[in-house]
Amino acid sequence: MEIKVEGGDEYANASYTNVCNDVFRDVGLRSNIDRVYMYCNAAEHVFIISIKIGRVPSPVKVWDVTLREGNKLRITKEEYAPKLLALLWDRYDERVQQESRLIIKFELDEEEVAKLNELVVYDPKEDLTVRMLDGIDRILPEGARVRYPIPSAQGQGITIIASENPISDEWKVKAKELVGGIASSGEVHN
Amino acid sequence: MYKIMMFSGGVYKFNELIETVEDIGGFILQSMVMQTETMLHLAFPAEEEPRIKAKAKELGGKLKDLPLGGAEIMVVVPSLGKHHAVYPMCDIAEFLRRNGAITDMMGLARGVGKRIAQMTVEEKAIINECDAAVFVFGNFKECIKKKVKLCEMIDVPYIIVGGPSASDVDIPHYVGGVGRRTSRMNRKEDIEKLSEMATALADVLEEKRIELEEDPLAASPLFIKEMIEMILPPKVTEEFPIVIHMDGLRVKVDAEDEERIRDIEIGKRKLSEICEIKKSLYEGYLLEILPEAVAGEIF
Repeated sequence: MEIKVEGGDEYANASYTNVCNDVFRDVGLRSNIDRVYMYCNAAEHVFIISIKIGRVPSPVKVWDVTLREGNKLRITKEEYAPKLLALLWDRYDERVQQESRLIIKFELDEEEVAKLNELVVYDPKEDLTVRMLDGIDRILPEGARVRYPIPSAQGQGITIIASENPISDEWKVKAKELVGGIASSGEVHN
Repeated sequence: MYKIMMFSGGVYKFNELIETVEDIGGFILQSMVMQTETMLHLAFPAEEEPRIKAKAKELGGKLKDLPLGGAEIMVVVPSLGKHHAVYPMCDIAEFLRRNGAITDMMGLARGVGKRIAQMTVEEKAIINECDAAVFVFGNFKECIKKKVKLCEMIDVPYIIVGGPSASDVDIPHYVGGVGRRTSRMNRKEDIEKLSEMATALADVLEEKRIELEEDPLAASPLFIKEMIEMILPPKVTEEFPIVIHMDGLRVKVDAEDEERIRDIEIGKRKLSEICEIKKSLYEGYLLEILPEAVAGEIF
């Protein structure tokens, strides 16, 4: 993940680079984001953050997180256990039982087991936007509550202008110039 | 004046230290016994320091100076959101406690932003109940310079903690190098910054201490605490039922005990004669001890 912070003084730029790094690590997006650009103008209280999303991991399926042992499944990645159990109980009711912490017993025929293996436990794309917006919210100064989003043309990222004052058209144009290729090159919609 | 120090050591004969402190007219502010370890906050007349040091050495314990001892400090942040809590707010409060202070933390209701930052009358009154305040601001010098107006509203001594270095931000009582944090301040350079902050705070408190020495109080808050505890012993489960301030106390008592507090005899006088007693906005009652010049002698 490449991070560039401009506009503030030396201390603020260095500090916000650290903040971006730590926040995106906390929300679990560091490996999914290609580039973060932030522009801080504290004098006019305008902050621009632009994110370009890179590769998003493929959906996690049942066979990715379990190992089959006869008519039992052993959970190999415990962090997915609650989602996996909820999915299986929802679909197969009492025919699936949790025998111990990591062992799931099932009473299913082979055809059903083949289908079960292909079930999607978790799709990282599902909550990508939510996590990204949560990260942006944690980075931008708390007082900058007036927000103006500019989606990217290819849907691969977002640019947000934040301020405590109404955001002028001048800043909307400047934001597009600053973020260059990341933001949409079209007209800004009010 | 009393000197406040922390003793840490084993339980062996530590009662002798307590007796020595009491013999020389000192007080035990806090006492904590953890299996074989003890921690005591002691207040004793400054001229008796060699005697206490000799006793501590005899017991094989350590004595540490508490520059902020006997003071209640309010740590004020613009909000209680994740931008300010838990780092660096809790690191700062913890460091102040390690230096002997009793700390409170406050997130302002409308303290965020630059132009829109403000402080309510009630918040101001609560901060004024403490001995000093530490304002924790962010990374931008433009915002800090603007937000100084919030700090200037309060009547107690204060310091401001922020990101840019002190040479860039030309405001009094400012300590730089902290700013926004996303991790704990436990590196060597962070600890040095926190020490710098504690020293700056000790300096502003020293000014208040000198003022109090010039116009002494009718009775020491430590003495009044002892007298209150004789009449109203602290309940087992209660934490800090009596908080010492530099010029008074905050006593956590129920409304029905207010009369008993007022009638406590301090020397020849009643507590209500030498103190202004009012309901604390925080908890319990606030006792503001009057200067001796106003209240007269107690003996």
